[in-house]
Amino acid sequence: MKKKTNDRKKTSRSRVPRLFLLFVLFVGLLFTLLTSATGRRFGIFHQATLEALGPLQSVFTNISLSTVRLKDRYITLWNLQEENDSLRKELDTYHALLDEYREAYSRNRFLETELEFKRQETFPALMARVVGKDPSFWFQTLIVDRGKNDGVVTGMVARNSLGAVGQVVQVSDNYSKVLLANAPSSAIDAIVQKNRVRGILKGAGEQGYVLQYVLKNGDVKEGDVIVTAGIGGVFPSGITLGTVSTVRSKRRGMFLEIEVEPAVDFSRLEVLYINLSEEQLIIDEMSHSLSSQGE
Amino acid sequence: MVILSFLLLGFVLVAVQTTFFHQFPHWLGRPDLVFILLVFSAYRFKWFGGLFLAVLLGWLMDVTSGVYLGTYLLLVLLVFSMVKFLSQNSSVKETVFQIPLVGVSYFCVQCLLYLFFTLTQPGTLPPWSWARAVQETLILLVASIPCFVFFNWLYEKLTTRRLASRKLKRGGGNRFR
Repeated sequence: MKKKTNDRKKTSRSRVPRLFLLFVLFVGLLFTLLTSATGRRFGIFHQATLEALGPLQSVFTNISLSTVRLKDRYITLWNLQEENDSLRKELDTYHALLDEYREAYSRNRFLETELEFKRQETFPALMARVVGKDPSFWFQTLIVDRGKNDGVVTGMVARNSLGAVGQVVQVSDNYSKVLLANAPSSAIDAIVQKNRVRGILKGAGEQGYVLQYVLKNGDVKEGDVIVTAGIGGVFPSGITLGTVSTVRSKRRGMFLEIEVEPAVDFSRLEVLYINLSEEQLIIDEMSHSLSSQGE
Repeated sequence: MVILSFLLLGFVLVAVQTTFFHQFPHWLGRPDLVFILLVFSAYRFKWFGGLFLAVLLGWLMDVTSGVYLGTYLLLVLLVFSMVKFLSQNSSVKETVFQIPLVGVSYFCVQCLLYLFFTLTQPGTLPPWSWARAVQETLILLVASIPCFVFFNWLYEKLTTRRLASRKLKRGGGNRFR
């Protein structure tokens, strides 16, 4: 029993210096930390802490970066298809918009040209919109949205800024049929602008025009401009009809074979002008011919 | 009612031909849908109703196409009579021959039209082109397949409706009395 109490005393005695040592160490550490923290010095403890923490941070950073990369590369790809689709849609929308703007721009340019033409011309021009084209390939006619109510009568001349388009052949109250100048049944008195050589410009359908009855000694070359002669009273003189594209002189015959490229693009006609100033003249002519037939 | 519906359809087809078809590229051509409708009417309608429809279709074409009024009317009457006669009195009435007959009749009409104008009004039509005529005929042949299917469907729909309404009218009372 006595031995037991002696052992206890011994252990309590040995604990005291240990506790004291621990206390001193703790105070020393606290003091160092406090002095280095208050002295704003990156002391040895700081450095050691950083050294210890650095690799751990590095590992965690690598892990987090790898995770982010993994997310970026694969997990976000899950939504990529959707994003791609939406972007494609967006692109399509912008393409459509771009087409619209382009169309509006070209239309604006076209209307500007037509307006300029209308300003410059002296004849009372009635603007007409093409509403229908001949369905058969044999005939070249157009239907326009102007008729008797607008003062249009049969025989009136249709033009646009590029040249002669044709002649009104049938009229209803609000619509008219225009026979295009390139129809084979159409024949216009024409001259070569540079030297006034005369001929008859016949329509050749989709091939354009053929200038007939020009003598072989006539000076006609490719690129020459053909205009209306103004004879016959239907077309006023000087309206552009086209440009000479081919000139052939065959051994036989006395005339040249001249092909003319129309100035007007008949396949793309949208708007044309009907010359209302000819109205009275045509009515007079018609009444005159009717009265002479009656006699 | 059936005739009127097909006449309305003719109106729509003429409008389509004179507007939309001109936006197509050149090689695609402009199939004459009214002509297909005309041949169809010759196959499916009786003489009187079919002739009535044909005349009105010819009238429509005269208004929208060409310069010489009456040309299409004559052509349409000729085509209708020929196809009707053939379809009634020969094996051509079989379904197999319907589409080829559209092509043959269209080609013949082109030739006839050209011949007619060459004799009566020389120089009013562009020069004859075999390639063009064959191309247009082939395009028409291709176009006539869906057109015939649609026209047939519409015809069946309209006639069965009419028959059904007649039956209903006839059997109005109580049958079990």
